[in-house]
Amino acid sequence: MKNFEYFKPSTLKEASELLIKKGANAHILNGGTDLIIRMKEGITSPDVVVDIKGIKELHNIKFDEKEGLFVGACVVLNDMAHNQIVKEKYKVLSNAAKSVGSGQIRNKATMTGNICNASPLADTSTPLLALDAKVLVYGPNGEREIPINELFVWVRKVSLEHGEIVKGVRIPAYENIIGDFQKISRRKEVDLSTVASTVVKINDEIRIALASVAPTPIRARKAESFIKGKKLTDEVIEEAAKIAASEASPIEDVRASKEYRIEMIKIAVKRNLNAVRS
Amino acid sequence: MKYKINFILNNENVEHEVEANRTLLKVLREDFDLTGAKEGCGLGECGACTILVDGRPVNACMMLGIEADGKEILTIEGLSNGTKLDELQLSFVNNGALQCGYCTPGMIMSAKGLLKENATPTEDEVKEAISGNLCRCTGYKKIVEAIMEVVENNK
Ligand SMILES: Cc1cc2nc3c(=O)[nH]c(=O)nc-3n(C[C@H](O)[C@H](O)[C@H](O)COP(=O)(O)OP(=O)(O)OC[C@H]3O[C@@H](n4cnc5c(N)ncnc54)[C@H](O)[C@@H]3O)c2cc1C
Ligand code: FES
Ligand code: FES
Repeated sequence: MKNFEYFKPSTLKEASELLIKKGANAHILNGGTDLIIRMKEGITSPDVVVDIKGIKELHNIKFDEKEGLFVGACVVLNDMAHNQIVKEKYKVLSNAAKSVGSGQIRNKATMTGNICNASPLADTSTPLLALDAKVLVYGPNGEREIPINELFVWVRKVSLEHGEIVKGVRIPAYENIIGDFQKISRRKEVDLSTVASTVVKINDEIRIALASVAPTPIRARKAESFIKGKKLTDEVIEEAAKIAASEASPIEDVRASKEYRIEMIKIAVKRNLNAVRS
Repeated sequence: MKYKINFILNNENVEHEVEANRTLLKVLREDFDLTGAKEGCGLGECGACTILVDGRPVNACMMLGIEADGKEILTIEGLSNGTKLDELQLSFVNNGALQCGYCTPGMIMSAKGLLKENATPTEDEVKEAISGNLCRCTGYKKIVEAIMEVVENNK
């Protein structure tokens, strides 16, 4: 690992100013489960690392009937997955978080790091997309909110400016979420998704999100509008799964071929839809 | 440049100087001669480097030494009390839960992390807790049995 300067500021302002002052090769360090690996492999070689874990407000996790759930940027996946409110009201998010890596990884990795890393397979991305989460951002020009679907731009590219720091993620409060997360991988533990998907049913609306099937995680909007107003019969589910697969543009890589991924999207979405139909 | 850090290492306060680019695993092994934690993959996949940070299992190969500042670090060396082995260590020995021993410190630290949170886990919970640890020798059966024996003794 190349040497670098290390800073651990205690406020967002200080952190943002440092990033700007030190220039483009200053990187934000959160749990480090993506960044440190990239640094060890020499794929990313920062001159400056700004560790944001010293900023207290980023460790908050809270729920409010009006505002919904806020998960601070530095809340580790295990704490989020086992949080009582998250387990009760956002079970599908808890399940997705529990599927990441191993217990050791989840004691360091964060959801904000997972989405900011912008891997097409990020496991927490599909519940966040399906639940219309918002990303809260602090920056040199004030704060802004980015709808989660606008955060992802391309493989490993997010719509953040240098100097901007994600404070956390907000998920709206819903009366009742019926949700299901599916992860298809070669082995159950410590493996990346070949395909991942989430379906949620909120009132009578069905939302479908897919990961590891395109340059960014996506919503399967055509499949969603096909289902709209229909009863979830076997035929409707079969057809919706096909439409969802047609919205994807998977690649071939070490984990699977393109053709296999397309078949697996159908399987995952079928499982999802079967799980949420009551 | 070196950075000064303070942390608790195996129940003792230590002050140390580290370069930013060294992992905690390197710092423990090279500066403190604590060679229990092993480097298997160096990528977070095998668990041979598992230690407890503030009581929770973490891969030391993926944590910077400098991130230990202000933390409580426990390695396999800090488990035993002099020559008196910890209950998990003793049970691994009694159950023959190791062959080459490379994975053993990590397995024991993962199990310790679980037992600190839940003294009476089910067998499935034990399996889940060690699912981030690879063993290339034992086939896991005896490892699970060794941990379950400690659980039974705790009941
Ligand atoms: C062995 C192993 C197994 C894994 N398994 C899975 C898996 O099953 N599923 C999965 O989805 N992922 C997996 N991962 C990837 C990884 O653990 C996750 O992506 C993790 O959630 C990243 O979070 P972090 O806090 O560690 O991020 P970091 O590594 O600290 O940061 C990741 C990126 O996000 C940026 N960043 C972090 N926080 C902020 C912020 N607040 N504002 C702006 N930018 C920020 C960083 O600069 C960096 O570019 C695995 C990794 C390993 C090593
Ligand atoms: S050496 Fe750390 S997980 Fe393999
Ligand atoms: S005893 Fe050899 S790797 Fe586990």
